[in-house]
Amino acid sequence: MILVLFGVSLLVFSIMMIIPPGRRAAIYVKQEKITPQQMEAMIKKYGLDDPAPVQYLRWMKSMLSGNFGYSVTASAPVLDGFKEYFPVTLELVLYATPLIILFGVWLGTIGAVNKDKPIDHATRVFAIIGYSLPTFWLGLILLMIFYGYLGIFPPGVLSNKGKDILFSPSFKRYTYILTIDSILNWRWDMFWDALYHLMLPTINLVLLSSALILRLMRSSMLESLGQDYIRTALAKGADKKTIHNIHARRNALIPVITISGVLFAGLMGGMVITETIFARTGIGLWMARAALQLDLPAIMFNVLFLGTVFVVVNLIVDIVYAYIDPRIRLT
Amino acid sequence: MQRLIETRELYTDFFTFEGVVKALNGVSIVVNQGETYGLVGESGCGKSVSVRSMMRIVQAPGKIVGGKILLFLSKEDREKGIDILKRSEAYMESIRGNDISMIFQEASTSLNPVLSIGYQVGESFLLHRLDEMLSETIDTLKGEIESGVNIFSRLWKSFQIGMFRNELESYLKYKRRVEEIDRRLYELEDSEDSESVSERNHLNRVRDRLSKKSGLVEFVEHFPVLRRYRKKLNKTVRKHIIMLLEELGVPNPHNIVDRYPHELSGGMQQRIVIAIALACHPTLLIADEPTSNLDVTIQAQIVDLIKLLKKTTISSVLFITHDLGLVAEICDRVTVMYAGDACETTSVTELFEKPLHPYTKGLLRAVPKIDSEGELETIPGTVPNLINPPTGCRFHPRCPHAMEICSKEKPPTVEYSAGHSVACFLYSEKKDM
Repeated sequence: MILVLFGVSLLVFSIMMIIPPGRRAAIYVKQEKITPQQMEAMIKKYGLDDPAPVQYLRWMKSMLSGNFGYSVTASAPVLDGFKEYFPVTLELVLYATPLIILFGVWLGTIGAVNKDKPIDHATRVFAIIGYSLPTFWLGLILLMIFYGYLGIFPPGVLSNKGKDILFSPSFKRYTYILTIDSILNWRWDMFWDALYHLMLPTINLVLLSSALILRLMRSSMLESLGQDYIRTALAKGADKKTIHNIHARRNALIPVITISGVLFAGLMGGMVITETIFARTGIGLWMARAALQLDLPAIMFNVLFLGTVFVVVNLIVDIVYAYIDPRIRLT
Repeated sequence: MQRLIETRELYTDFFTFEGVVKALNGVSIVVNQGETYGLVGESGCGKSVSVRSMMRIVQAPGKIVGGKILLFLSKEDREKGIDILKRSEAYMESIRGNDISMIFQEASTSLNPVLSIGYQVGESFLLHRLDEMLSETIDTLKGEIESGVNIFSRLWKSFQIGMFRNELESYLKYKRRVEEIDRRLYELEDSEDSESVSERNHLNRVRDRLSKKSGLVEFVEHFPVLRRYRKKLNKTVRKHIIMLLEELGVPNPHNIVDRYPHELSGGMQQRIVIAIALACHPTLLIADEPTSNLDVTIQAQIVDLIKLLKKTTISSVLFITHDLGLVAEICDRVTVMYAGDACETTSVTELFEKPLHPYTKGLLRAVPKIDSEGELETIPGTVPNLINPPTGCRFHPRCPHAMEICSKEKPPTVEYSAGHSVACFLYSEKKDM
């Protein structure tokens, strides 16, 4: 695990090293014009032309001591920017992922159980649509229909009224996740406001991403429904509900869990397009901007963070595996 | 002898992409009360499909397309039997595992890898013996309360008793209703006028929709914390499982209950499969090649176990095998099958002494004997493709006695002598003359 993170850090670092020292220094230049001598002095001062290993060690040292540098795009230290942007993404992911998984597993089970019946074809059509529609297209259409014509579910994170509450002095930010904070502050009006703004991006994500889970669930459910132990359960006199819910589904869930983990970690990496369309100032939006403006500290921190998320999610997936499949349990 | 289950002209087809596989071609067999009945034939001749059809568990793309399966279970319906093909799925669920149960070829794949042994065996009890389990649990809880406990656990236990009583009541109500419906259905069994047919369909649908559990229990079951009250019931079930496993000679049953299938040996897995089948003391046990894939010593143990169980608990056994030695050892009567046809049915002694059907003769010649020398005799040709089976008698292309009529008509089954019937024109001709 540590080894993976070390590899990630090396990779991130070496990509950044491709950029010449001058460019890297220029990010921090505040004035309009600067002489070559001043530039040289800056490069010397920050050791930007030192041998790569030396620079790497220096970077790692400051990373490990909690100094992640200053982000230009967030106009704040990286950690503060992260605190500002990340909860917005996390909130959406926390609402969307369970819905994606539940929806996908549910539809996949229905499809498998009613194989080749009209309802199965309907789920397949849904899956194909979800697979092939581009995020930006569906997002824009949703915005057009709901916000444009119906006037509900506006983009953004909060309405102005909600923002007034957020920035009022009596409001304490515990987790930086708006819905949770508003409950902790007992401001239900703000809670509904935040939820109202979450609705459309969640719908967008669920429609698109559950197609993957659906396909996987359907095929693995079909496979486990054809196994011998289903015959045993049938011969035992078990009813359909028991067979589907207990005997088949638990076996079918194993591959779904893997993909769910990957999906979760992927969504955490920021949904650049979704966040741009729905104007949610999340980590995806920040990363995109940082990449365009060569905001190196922000990019490096976020990539490392994503690496950590992937590693941790994989660990959780392994633990869930052992819970579901006794064959994986250590004895 | 009293019949137990009978199939009449049973046709089962498999609708595959290559075409319709006609797996059963009008199979008629009778299993009597108290006998061990053998079904012999090579792989793919429809042995397994026949018994699966008898339990109505032919999995997709298979379908029973014709014939009758008559069941003579209780005293009342001994006269005409129940045609289970006309009954609802819920009726079949109450029969499977309770009156007829089945053990399978490969124990390792027949057990669900993610469920514990205790759960898999216990499910049989919970499906068919729920009333007994519930009343027993209520009794133990009452005993515990009487033996004196503090006020909190007294409250908790009273709550449990209340819940179990509720469940028991709705289950008994369900059972009474089901009995009513089944009695009415039995009366309507043979009538063919449109009114009784529609009533029959209606009753079947009603029976399918009846719920065993009351709304309260179903509601509570969705909440993990509230569901904990069921632990007591599981304890009772566990006690029964351990008793059952002990009966079947499983060593260390207390430990085995919490194990998972992959942790057990092949022989032990087969015992667990047998335990699942025997949990409710069925009238008929169908054993679908229970000993293949096991090594010889374990095979002998399992065969001995089935023989012992035949003596003690179950009335009839339907034993499927391709091992003629095994047939000689345990069966009373045998049917030889070939490519979806039941060729010859006879007692086991006659089968070996006086085989009639050319296929049976060939089969017996192909068994290696101690005093035989040289190459083993075989039946020429191969098993036909059942998508395009041979016309007439399905054995005629390989038959040394094939006549002209064999390729044109399906031979009728004739009774050659008492208890010995054969489907071959060699003998029907003789009868006519």
